Amino acid sequence: MAATDGGANQLEFSLDVPFPSSREAEIALRSLSPDREPRKGGIRKQLTVSGSKLSVKWSADEARILRVSVNSFLDHLSLVLETMEMFGPPVSQ
Amino acid sequence: MTVVIGFEGSANKIGIGIIRDGEVLSNPRRTYITPPGQGFMPSDTARHHRAVVLTVLKEALEQAGLKPADIDCVSYTKGPGMGAPLVTVALVARTVAQLWGKPLLGVNHCIGHIEMGRLITKANNPTVLYVSGGNTQVIAYSERRYRIFGETIDIAVGNCLDRFARVIKISNDPSPGYNIEQMAKKGSQYVELPYTVKGMDVSFSGILSYIEETLFSMLVEITERAMAHCGSQEVLIVGGVGCNMRLQEMMGVMCKEREAKLFATDERFCIDNGAMIAQAGWEMFRSGQVTELEDSWITQRYRTDEVEVTWRAD
Repeated sequence: MAATDGGANQLEFSLDVPFPSSREAEIALRSLSPDREPRKGGIRKQLTVSGSKLSVKWSADEARILRVSVNSFLDHLSLVLETMEMFGPPVSQ
Repeated sequence: MTVVIGFEGSANKIGIGIIRDGEVLSNPRRTYITPPGQGFMPSDTARHHRAVVLTVLKEALEQAGLKPADIDCVSYTKGPGMGAPLVTVALVARTVAQLWGKPLLGVNHCIGHIEMGRLITKANNPTVLYVSGGNTQVIAYSERRYRIFGETIDIAVGNCLDRFARVIKISNDPSPGYNIEQMAKKGSQYVELPYTVKGMDVSFSGILSYIEETLFSMLVEITERAMAHCGSQEVLIVGGVGCNMRLQEMMGVMCKEREAKLFATDERFCIDNGAMIAQAGWEMFRSGQVTELEDSWITQRYRTDEVEVTWRAD
């Protein structure tokens, strides 16, 4: 299922993560979005929040590249969730 | 009163420290130690940090006797260093900064070492020799920049020592450099090796079989050259290799000859630690700097002279 022509035949993957509140979804978004993908190319990732849900959409040239990025993201997400569990809830603004 | 927490994890040490107006309230640290003959790889190191970071954070708060509300600023290492470990630590820093409603500050790791060295030793305006597994630089402050006077043109001196330790399978516990130092104390036969100084810079990759004398002599020479250029009478050694007593001894001899003062810190602060990031963060925060979340990405390359040193006068 590897597409190597980069344009029309991109692999796509999406993930939706529910949070207890939109505030917490935003916190996760802002923690997870700043760092760039380590790979130079072949993968694009977009994070958005809608209501209390964090959505992530990937598009990649190859399955291998996609797997690495998604795997990495899930590790990072779980760290953010664990941190929020241990040190949350967020203070009132 | 300003309280800053600092997160550091750019190599195999993960440390979180809290500083209040120049007082280190806590500075717990864990080291990822690999078996003899093996160096540490980015993903394994990140996994190590991931497993302990929240525990170390709790310890830092408990040992300081503080609650998150008492913290004024969250600082973390923006770079330089290994990508995966840097991200792991930055994620936690960003998250707690938001949970606690505190401003965030991305700190340059090298500047963390320098500011901790200045705090602990009270050196006024020293020529700095920064030597560690990842970095080798001679630095002098001038007009709001920590200028890199000289550096390694290939690998860091600590990297050279670590690779040597790997080849002859010296234990990495507590660190390869420490074990080399202990063994070197018992040595009596000096072996002449290539000595590579090029003006202000040094090269270590050609001489991987090594003895401290040659490597350290090279470093003393370039430090002395920088002191002569800057008219400086103070030397501050920072970075993990700075723990080495032989290096301090050799530098001390040069300083005595020039009637200059030598400053160094002990292993709590010359080895990577969280409090040094907190200290640099404290200086930056007090001079009005803050890092917006969108700009808080980590970076493997981050030169010491890229940072505007807003907290020191011209």
